[in-house]
Amino acid sequence: MPETENRNIEPEKINLAEMAKDQSYWASVKRQFNKNKLAVYSLRVIFVLVFIALFADFLANEKPIIASYKKNIYFPVFKEYAVNMGLSEWPTEMQNISSWRDLKFEWAVWPLVPYLPNNIDFINAQSVGPFDEQEVPSKFWRHWMGTDELGRDVFSGMIHGTRIAVMVGLISMGIASLIGIFLGALAGYFGDERLRLSIASILLNLVSLFFALYYGFGSRSYILADAIGVSFGLFLKELFISFMVIALIFAMGNLIAYALKNIPFLNQKIKIPVDIMISRLIEIMLSVPTLFLIISIAAISKPSVFTVMAIIGFTSWTGIARFIRAELLRIRSLEYIEAANALGFSEFRTMLKHAIPNALSPVLVAVAFGIAAAILIEATLSFIGVGVPAESITWGSLLSAARQSTSAWWLAIIPGFAIFITVTIYNLVGEGLTDALDPRQKK
Amino acid sequence: MLIYILKRVFIFIPTLIAISLLTFVISINAPGDPVDLMLNKSVGGDGQASEKLATEKSYEELRHKLGFDKPLFYFSITNSTQPDTLYKIPQKTHRETLQRLSFTYGNWADISNYYHLIKKFENQLYNIKRNEETAVDLRKLKELTNTLYNNYDEFKINTIFNNLEFTLTQNKVLKYQLQGTFNALKNSVLRILENKNPFNKYKPYIHWYGTDNQYHHWISNFIKGDFGISYQDKRPVSSVLWDALKWTFILSSLSIIIAYFVAIPLGVLSAVKKGTKTEKSITTTLFVMYSLPNFWIATMLIIFFCGGDFFDWFPAFGLGTLPETAPFIERFFETAYHYILPLICVTYASFAFISRQMRGGMLNVIGQDYIRTARAKGVDEKNVVWKHAFRNSLLPIITLFASVFPAAISGSFIIEVIFSIPGMGKLTLEAIFARNYPIVFTVLMFTSILTLIGTLVSDIMYAAVDPRISFSNKK
Repeated sequence: MPETENRNIEPEKINLAEMAKDQSYWASVKRQFNKNKLAVYSLRVIFVLVFIALFADFLANEKPIIASYKKNIYFPVFKEYAVNMGLSEWPTEMQNISSWRDLKFEWAVWPLVPYLPNNIDFINAQSVGPFDEQEVPSKFWRHWMGTDELGRDVFSGMIHGTRIAVMVGLISMGIASLIGIFLGALAGYFGDERLRLSIASILLNLVSLFFALYYGFGSRSYILADAIGVSFGLFLKELFISFMVIALIFAMGNLIAYALKNIPFLNQKIKIPVDIMISRLIEIMLSVPTLFLIISIAAISKPSVFTVMAIIGFTSWTGIARFIRAELLRIRSLEYIEAANALGFSEFRTMLKHAIPNALSPVLVAVAFGIAAAILIEATLSFIGVGVPAESITWGSLLSAARQSTSAWWLAIIPGFAIFITVTIYNLVGEGLTDALDPRQKK
Repeated sequence: MLIYILKRVFIFIPTLIAISLLTFVISINAPGDPVDLMLNKSVGGDGQASEKLATEKSYEELRHKLGFDKPLFYFSITNSTQPDTLYKIPQKTHRETLQRLSFTYGNWADISNYYHLIKKFENQLYNIKRNEETAVDLRKLKELTNTLYNNYDEFKINTIFNNLEFTLTQNKVLKYQLQGTFNALKNSVLRILENKNPFNKYKPYIHWYGTDNQYHHWISNFIKGDFGISYQDKRPVSSVLWDALKWTFILSSLSIIIAYFVAIPLGVLSAVKKGTKTEKSITTTLFVMYSLPNFWIATMLIIFFCGGDFFDWFPAFGLGTLPETAPFIERFFETAYHYILPLICVTYASFAFISRQMRGGMLNVIGQDYIRTARAKGVDEKNVVWKHAFRNSLLPIITLFASVFPAAISGSFIIEVIFSIPGMGKLTLEAIFARNYPIVFTVLMFTSILTLIGTLVSDIMYAAVDPRISFSNKK
């Protein structure tokens, strides 16, 4: 008897499972998002931009991708990656080549644009336009988007500039999300009442904070400053060591605090008004004129794209923090959080594992708009020539070249249009996400 | 209500302190020496002892006048290798070199001895009479000694010493006079290397300086209304700012007025006609305008309308060249002519932004029940829109006032830069580039204060417009 019953129920079960799958939160968000055609196309354009950014070296390069030279087959672009990573060395006949296009290859597969953004074409210098006559060996070597004052190819600059734009958006918003989610979640989840710490652990955490900053950054400041001058990789390594030192000091502080809790006086619990403290911090960040702040910091630090990304990241986390704070204020009073607390999990575990994952969707919206803003800020900075080193070519620096040569309309239109499109599609995706995540729009 | 306002103003204080600290940290970390900047020349070079003394004296006088001979802050946390009186050494580069040296070698007594010996050696160099025999070598020695102040790398210092020794051995007159001090100097370097104690840098050391410090003086002067002196043209900051504020104020207030006057009816229109073709084209245009980077539009306008290869309709930058004595009307039209393009660039983005906000607010209200009720009881459409819906949809527009205040002072700085209008934005950017920190400080502080006030004002106006919002019985 039970077997037949099971058989009867089974088809319904599958249906239910499928329906449940269909109605899962993200599935419905996806369905809503797909209804907004403009947002979907924008997302596709973003994928194309990411593709260009990833393969910029293969799309625009002075070296061929595959070439046969003196009866040997070479992969110069790949080889360059290997050489830069220290895995390989250039063969003797390819060292110190001033012009790859003059090498006598038997055959070669060239990238779409056979120039690097910094290659100077002396014959076509003084801003040659896309429709002007160009002195090039064949149509393949044409500068399809013209050249700038020095004779650098604009098309190649656009392709490599995409890489910087995409990176600026992702890295700065990555930093901003980390800070924003962490602080916003603390403020929203613990509020002013819920975080209760013993006197011992407050004291020792404060002491640890002092020593952590001192040993992590204070006594390592010259090492860090020197490292950023050498290379970004070395700086990251030193920064990682600093963070390890800080983590170690905090771990030691908390161990001692754990031991001291046996003294009754030190075990008294005190409420910590996390929400007030973090809200005040957000208010401070919001009342500082961000663009001025970014420019003043960028003007005193060594010019580097990564510094710019870090500065943008450290100044633009407030939006994300506010979103997640509001969301966690709602979530923390839900039953499942109470259940998790009743099960005896620690507050931090509940916050990290159960509360934050359910509050992440509004962050997506803030990140999409944030990327648009970050790209715009970076373009503004390189347009006025702050923060980004003079030799690195970005959309903003290409656009600013138009100010020097006023007859070069292509220098104004092409990079400006790229900035505009990129900012717009990120805004459109942000709007699409807002609508898709809005429960009122569900049908 | 009053209590609420007082409470809010009270909260301003910690916020402003935090902002002032932030700007202060930025300014002390800026490269370059402000005293050098103001003197327009640096101490050293080739000259006689009296000249050197004179420049050094004027340097220290100016340093004292600007208050840079005081400690930076109320307290300092350093490693135990550094003395708490390091700030007394005048030149910034010297301080940095000494800090580096003491960080690496950890024995301040020896390093201080080394520094004093360099000074002594340098003074002796300047006291030697120049003649045909010594002039060339003397200059070489002075240059080499000067590089000692900026080098903390062991290898580089050794190279400099080898060069010094080589020059000395070549010239017998100089060798005779300088050998003694030179040997002492050389020994002092050896002693630094011998007594190396790198672990000292891991001992933290806190020193309390009291209120006689740079930050305290700056912030108390700021509260009194004395913003300092601009490093570049040596005028008081307040007068420099006032000149710039005038131009920015005209630009921003005009653009705000135009933007509001065009944007509000447009926003209402696009909300009322939702779903029609007009609405769709308005919304799309507004969205595109909102995303257009204004520096791009500014560049395009200059290229296409200000000479170049296309139209020559507008001037590309500046405010015209008419002298102050020209009749007011002429100057007015000249300036207005120069203002057209910048005004377009500043206005279109805020205009698009306000319209979109207005549309959003209006759409929210129009969907509400009481609007349907009004229509049902036969109120005509015009009255429904303007009397019932419009007033209630003004709420989001009011919040925008908060951002209008700081915008008025900091201006649309990039537009000012592109069209070179001598307003706040251009002034601040130039000040940042020239490391003219009194100006940067003041602008940052003022913009922050205005933002805070703007937020407060918009909160109060919110309550005034919407009776449902009340601050007095807020939990």
